[in-house]
Amino acid sequence: MKKVFILLLISTFIILAFKSGNEYTFAIPINWPKPTYDFAKNPLSIDKIQLGRALFYDPQLSSDNTTSCSSCHSQFTAFTHVDHALSHGIKDRIGKRNSLALMNLAWHQSFMWDGAINHLDMQSLAPISNPDEMDEKIEHVVTKLQKSKIYPLLFQKAFGDSTITGEHLLKSISQFMLTLVSSNSKYDSVMRKESVFTAQENQGYKLFKTNCAECHTEPLFTNLKFENNGLTLDTTLNDTGRMKITHNKKDSLRFKVPSLRNIEFSYPYMHDGRFKKLSEVVTHYTSGVQKSNTLSKKLEKNLVLSSNERVDLIAFLLTLTDRTFLFNKDYSFPRTIFFTEKKE
Amino acid sequence: MLSTIKNNINSCSLSPSGRIKTISHGLAYCLLFIISIEVMAAQSNKILNINFHAYYGDVLLKLDDSVYKTENETAIQIETFKCYISGIELLNKEQVVFRENNSFHLLDVSELKSLSIPVTTPSTIQYDKIKFNIGIDSLTNVSGAYGGDLDPTKGMYWTWQNGYINFKLEGKSMICPTKNNEFQFHIGGYQFPDRTMQQVILNILMEGSLAIRIDLKKIIDSIDLTKQNQVMSPGKDAVILSEKALKIFSSY
Repeated sequence: MKKVFILLLISTFIILAFKSGNEYTFAIPINWPKPTYDFAKNPLSIDKIQLGRALFYDPQLSSDNTTSCSSCHSQFTAFTHVDHALSHGIKDRIGKRNSLALMNLAWHQSFMWDGAINHLDMQSLAPISNPDEMDEKIEHVVTKLQKSKIYPLLFQKAFGDSTITGEHLLKSISQFMLTLVSSNSKYDSVMRKESVFTAQENQGYKLFKTNCAECHTEPLFTNLKFENNGLTLDTTLNDTGRMKITHNKKDSLRFKVPSLRNIEFSYPYMHDGRFKKLSEVVTHYTSGVQKSNTLSKKLEKNLVLSSNERVDLIAFLLTLTDRTFLFNKDYSFPRTIFFTEKKE
Repeated sequence: MLSTIKNNINSCSLSPSGRIKTISHGLAYCLLFIISIEVMAAQSNKILNINFHAYYGDVLLKLDDSVYKTENETAIQIETFKCYISGIELLNKEQVVFRENNSFHLLDVSELKSLSIPVTTPSTIQYDKIKFNIGIDSLTNVSGAYGGDLDPTKGMYWTWQNGYINFKLEGKSMICPTKNNEFQFHIGGYQFPDRTMQQVILNILMEGSLAIRIDLKKIIDSIDLTKQNQVMSPGKDAVILSEKALKIFSSY
């Protein structure tokens, strides 16, 4: 009998040791709300995150093997597409919108500028199959990966099954994206009382709280809602935003409120990337807001700022830059995985 | 076996080591008991096959070059027919007597095997009706990635705007003023007011037979293909088509 107990004990330890070696604890930053992503349905593990990371950087996900997720979501720009108002995919095809920065996705319930995507797991399907982006089919991606040298092994390691499925592929990309948490900007350290704002930043923070925070709500710097911020309709695109999804006129010209975290590096701004500089964004809110039926109530009156206040506000926005996020090696191109493949 | 357990419990007033031994024996018997119950339970289950037969009018549907005729004698070819069946329930005198867990099945006429759905039910079950949905419920539509028949590689998932395609019918007809004379109906949508999941309730006409007939001629004849030939997003048209799709199912 004792032997049975000892055996049981040992096997429990082995299971625990195996588990703790591979499990990944998702840390919720202090004073942040609970994430909305249901981790119970897709429990994080280091192997799955690494697999997702490989997939995120792999151009095999596009039809001509040239374009990866990272092509339009590069780390040093907070995972968006810098320099392009409208992001482009394979063969330089220009899309209809400016790619969004990827961070703190575990707190989002809908994705894309119009909320067309209802779950993070399903997000990757959209760019993979959009003809202007990666122009590929998930079925074909699965076939390509199954034939590769590394992926059956990586899927085996991550899911205990070397047969690649759409479900496993999507869930592992989700896992990598979920780890992209930005919560270490100067703003965050000030909130944690580890550092202090300059007088100018502090002044800017006050202006921000009065004028911007209702939509760009802390700590995510977005209220996760859809708003019309008074941009004039670009008639070459005729993009009515959320209305295309809900078919409701009330949603005309409404777009998802983007987070302002890492805004210094995630230019150009707005759904169509029409503004290159932060000063242009501020000018839009002081004098460019176009009145319409669906305009956000908070923008009915123009923002009034003196030239000093404009500078203060921008100084505050720059405190949202998180270098530990932008240069985190855990998020970068997974050299070791891809180089092992070439050696084989 | 029960008496053995009783004996063990009765003989528990022993020395500490003896007691552990007895308890362990007792536990072993309990385990055996539970296993035997499960084996018995498993034996008392049976597998029911729900068989779907796809027809075009009176002829079995084939996705090859077979040409069919519409009500107006227009020639038509069917190239794809797939649809989701979910939430299978069996009823007896209006009471649910069986509900399948994780009940999601993709019917695909190009894969004969998919047209027969095996469900495990208690062997003594009696039923007079079958109930199921055509399509996938809203909750599943917003809950992320799934495998099996729900895997997005099955070609029944919209990527530009999330959601399952509940019902897919594609083909050709000279009267379609489209490229290659194609018609494509991808029916889906899970959000109010564009919900397209439909519930089917059918009487079981013959004891022990779960055969369901799908007649695509019925839906084709209800559509004016000269005017309506491409429905590929959620909306009013999709809802109307989903109501028409409901009527092509019958038991026999």
